[in-house]
Amino acid sequence: MEPSDAALVATVLKGDSEAYAQLVDRYRDRYARFALQMLGNREDAEDALQDAFVRAYRSLRRCSEPERFGSWLLAILANRCRTAGGRRTLRERRFVSAEDRHHAIALDHPSDASAWREEIGKALSRLDADQREAFLLKHVEGLEYEEMAAITGAGVSALKMRVKRACDRMRRMLTEGDDAPVG
Amino acid sequence: MPRSDEIDAAQGGEDVLEQAAEELRRPLRVDAALFDARVMDEVLRPRHRVRDAVRSLARKRSVSVSPIGALAAACLFAVVVSGAVMAIERVHAPELARRAPQLAGEPIVRFGFVAPRASSVALVGDFNDWDPKATPLRANAAGGVWSVDVPIRPGRHIYAFVVDGKTWRPDPAAPPAYGEDFGEPNSALTVADPGAQ
Repeated sequence: MEPSDAALVATVLKGDSEAYAQLVDRYRDRYARFALQMLGNREDAEDALQDAFVRAYRSLRRCSEPERFGSWLLAILANRCRTAGGRRTLRERRFVSAEDRHHAIALDHPSDASAWREEIGKALSRLDADQREAFLLKHVEGLEYEEMAAITGAGVSALKMRVKRACDRMRRMLTEGDDAPVG
Repeated sequence: MPRSDEIDAAQGGEDVLEQAAEELRRPLRVDAALFDARVMDEVLRPRHRVRDAVRSLARKRSVSVSPIGALAAACLFAVVVSGAVMAIERVHAPELARRAPQLAGEPIVRFGFVAPRASSVALVGDFNDWDPKATPLRANAAGGVWSVDVPIRPGRHIYAFVVDGKTWRPDPAAPPAYGEDFGEPNSALTVADPGAQ
């Protein structure tokens, strides 16, 4: 049986730094996806994720609920993504390009799906960062609003509003092709 | 029926959203070996560097203090002692000990904290893995003023003090670190690169 997050955190804190690699392995792919969808650029996403893992490691003693290491790490990553995303306007970048997704996703997906992926990526990129984050945490990562509040620092009602607006806009862009920029 | 409620949306729109979310939920494959190596390399390296720097400090600092450095240290010490009875906020901004010895290019920064009733004070920060045992401060003879000199890599750092092993305190004399990742209060410190000066 695989050790729990809490057990791995305890092992690392006792001095076995190599045990941290198991936590990296456990969360790498899932959180890389979140970072890529937040930042729209694979290189930036991997940098943000690496930064989050390193910060989490250096601050591991401050992880007050080691059994919830994953949520704690996601909070750090979301913060990193906000910082990285703020440096450059998302619209100046490629967003989850077909190439990235082809490399990223299993190769057995039909190539004609790439246009659909690109459309989703473009729609996502046109959301405000707060809305994109809320949408991804809710509908892609599958978090409850209380968890989202703990991760983002925003209130539950504000998050519900962000998700609703994100959904409205995503739906409109994906069904009506409305690509007017937000705000 | 409300048209654009998150849950009770028009059927066609909801289908397309669910399809989009499903697409976005597809796993992403990262080059695990390369990524993990990068993370672990970064994770393991600073710990060793700080440890080595502290060892190096222990070996070398007694032989390389210049007269000006000694004078500066004495002045700083006098300021700290005289400030002990003043408001805490005035006493302890971390100062770059410019004239103190530098080890491996890492400037030495003096941290101070007033805590007359404390039995221990430790410095924790991103430069020592937030380890309360790594960098204890020493009390002065009177016992209320705590200080420590630490080699710090150039760049921006966040740190705090841990009093009596349990109470997390920001440095009252330093800028607070806003927007960091954690709930506890921290302070910010920027150490200039001596090579850039």
